[in-house]
Amino acid sequence: MAQQISDRHDIDFVLHEQLNVAEFSKHEKYAEFNRQTIDLIVNEARNLAVKEILPTRKEADEQGCIYDKGTVKAPEAYKRLFKLLKEGEWTAMPEDPRWGGQGMPRSVSMAAAEYFNGADYSFMMYMGLTEGAGRLVENFGTDRQKKLFLKNMYTGRWTGTMLLTEPVAGSDVGRLETKAVPQADGTYKIKGQKIFTSSGEHDLAENIVHPVLARIEGAPAGTKGISLFLVPKYRVKEDGSLGELNDVNCLGIEKKMGIHGNSTCTLSLGDKDECIGELLGEENKGMREMFLMMNGARLLVGMQGFASATASYINAVNYAKERTQGRHLTRMKEKDAPAVPIIQHPDVRRMLLTMKAYVEGMRSLLYYTAWCEDKADVVDDEKEKEKYYDLIDLLIPIAKGYVTDRAFDICNLGMQVYGGYGYIKEYPQEQLVRDCRITMIYEGTNGIQAMDLLGRKLGMKKGKLVMDLMGEINATISKAKEGERVKPYAESLEKALNRLGEAAMHLGNTAMSEKVMDAFAYAYPFMEVSGDVVMAWMLVWRASIAEKALEKAKKKDAAFYEGQIRSAQFFCNTVLPTTLGKINAIMATDGAALEIDEASFIG
Amino acid sequence: MEILVCAKRVPDTAENEIEINSAGNDIKRDDLVYSVNEWDNYAVEEAIQIVEKHGGSVTVVTVGDDESEEILRREMAMGAENGILLTDEAFEGSDGKGIAALLKAAVEKGNYDLIMTGAQADEGYAQVGGMLAAMLDYPYASLVNKIEVGDGKLTVGREIEGGNIEINEIELPCVLSIQTGINEPRYVGIRGIRKVASVNIPAMGASDLGIDPASVGADAAGVKRIDYFVPEMGEGAQMLEGSDDEILEKLIELLKSKGGIK
Repeated sequence: MAQQISDRHDIDFVLHEQLNVAEFSKHEKYAEFNRQTIDLIVNEARNLAVKEILPTRKEADEQGCIYDKGTVKAPEAYKRLFKLLKEGEWTAMPEDPRWGGQGMPRSVSMAAAEYFNGADYSFMMYMGLTEGAGRLVENFGTDRQKKLFLKNMYTGRWTGTMLLTEPVAGSDVGRLETKAVPQADGTYKIKGQKIFTSSGEHDLAENIVHPVLARIEGAPAGTKGISLFLVPKYRVKEDGSLGELNDVNCLGIEKKMGIHGNSTCTLSLGDKDECIGELLGEENKGMREMFLMMNGARLLVGMQGFASATASYINAVNYAKERTQGRHLTRMKEKDAPAVPIIQHPDVRRMLLTMKAYVEGMRSLLYYTAWCEDKADVVDDEKEKEKYYDLIDLLIPIAKGYVTDRAFDICNLGMQVYGGYGYIKEYPQEQLVRDCRITMIYEGTNGIQAMDLLGRKLGMKKGKLVMDLMGEINATISKAKEGERVKPYAESLEKALNRLGEAAMHLGNTAMSEKVMDAFAYAYPFMEVSGDVVMAWMLVWRASIAEKALEKAKKKDAAFYEGQIRSAQFFCNTVLPTTLGKINAIMATDGAALEIDEASFIG
Repeated sequence: MEILVCAKRVPDTAENEIEINSAGNDIKRDDLVYSVNEWDNYAVEEAIQIVEKHGGSVTVVTVGDDESEEILRREMAMGAENGILLTDEAFEGSDGKGIAALLKAAVEKGNYDLIMTGAQADEGYAQVGGMLAAMLDYPYASLVNKIEVGDGKLTVGREIEGGNIEINEIELPCVLSIQTGINEPRYVGIRGIRKVASVNIPAMGASDLGIDPASVGADAAGVKRIDYFVPEMGEGAQMLEGSDDEILEKLIELLKSKGGIK
């Protein structure tokens, strides 16, 4: 059998040749994570993903979650998977070992996460949300809260969620109506209804810890009056043991297009006025606290989309090599010419190379974003630290918004390569399309990501973030120009980068003028072209490493490195020209979207 | 109980397309992903379970190149205490007898009560366990799928034809070749991986083992593979097509019509 879920060679390339993640082991904090440890981690994550998680994906999708009088049963197979991931301590890989995490560099944990999420991210959501909720406790909890909750969460004994959305408060969280009433003992009584809560109720863990956004009675309206609370499904006694149920009631679960294995719950808090929560962090600082956690959550969603895409790509390549259909284009008229594997047809190759280039670029971007956090963690120089955090802030809307959009496109192509079989449930491609789709919507729709990029990140620190990123890209360009083969692609990237700089300046200025509405009508195209340039950056960076490596590559590696140069060639010669066209449209900032009368949308 | 498990690094059949090379004497190995031989992994799990119940330690040994160290480290992350890499240019191209001779030398360097091998590995001769037992003059049981530890002896179940099982008593020290399915091998978790991150795995060459280099390796091999091919499809083969259910139905019909089942 061929590889499944992901391309191990490419993962190793990013980890060791592009980002040199084993270098982190020179720092005391990551001393254990040398090359051989990293290789073992990736091996064993792949082993578990391929042998245990992947075989249950279809069954879990078909079974879905079952709601019965307030309880939810997760797909049967998930119980064993959950136990295996807990036993193997894969639940909070990059988190603090003092609280049950594994203290792994985030960049390394991305490789394991790619295999797990690519195998079935509906399942992994139970873990991923727990880690995110745990980070809230770790960052804003008191010592007592950490002791009571955190280790149980990071070790997977309890799971976590995130209770934000309400029927009237979706993208506009500030409108939320859930109330918190202070009690004499310092706790709060919570009352309200939350919807779209992933992993909100299930039978996989002993307890579920819900971080809840609510407004303390009398607090200001809007986002400034929102606080964060910890609300467990079962109350937790001071000795850490579980008490009675905490009046958190699951009213139902959503029937969805995809991610059937994950329960999407409507939760009602305090039906009997007995839902007790404790404040996490400071009063009225809930939104700010939540925002600090947002980068991690958005990077995870980027990973979910991307992991679906890489699985779809691997399937498509394997299928295209095996499936014979149609004669070779140059022998079409010969009746006796044999049918050839469809990978020999030009349009199939176009699709596969499109998938390859994006998958590789996205992998590099996501790992790089995690790597920036590792770098920020180990460098001493405060300015350098700041630079890496700034790069993360700037790249997150791309790593979420752009990546999940392209990931969905890739899953779509992955279905197309299979032809009619791609649409049939017997094959894996249609599930990947369905599962991938939500990543463009939740954790801030991709439109919100685009507004974040244009409205917040672009102008932050007087444009320093953008300048830093351009500095990094230019460094890659200079290096890549040294290579004879990659030089023309580096030059294409340079041209696109300069144009992007102009577009950023133009759109930034427009956003501060009376044409602000027009500017934001182009926020999304701007995120797209920014993403294109970042993809080209990653692909040129890779190709430049590959060109050097080819000089003394073993035979088995030569095809891989050649493939890197082809990805850059394809992207720079086929995609970047359209990017320049899109930039032209941004520069023109046509006003049609705003000028059209609402009455004109439907006659 | 001191247990030595012999393991081998082999192409992972779950991850590779196996193709024959252009010379026709081996498979293409350039792009293969390797892992520990599946049967050996069951043997290591069984050894770990015995030690967990009865005390002692598990050592894993392999014959191979530097890259083979990774499977030792992996099995140590799983719970084996020690690893030994037998590596020397002189060992390359050894046949089954050569490998058994090297393992015998390794056994004699230690003090083991029980030696386990996988029932077979990638090349499928299933010969090393039996030869090793003969060279050591130890009792031997093959295709073992159940082990109970007694006083100075083991009770072992063996898989025999027709799905039957026989039970034998075997005296220690002995050699057992282990069949898959004897247990459910555990997965390697992060704690295990961290434990072996910086462990030094000793390597032993011909002189360390007291082996005459001329007695092993390709030149000393009494068995040499001279050809390697996928048999051509003969007459009478019938490919069943359709969905899984349709294929199954056709197969049952065929078996019934040919008298295979009633």
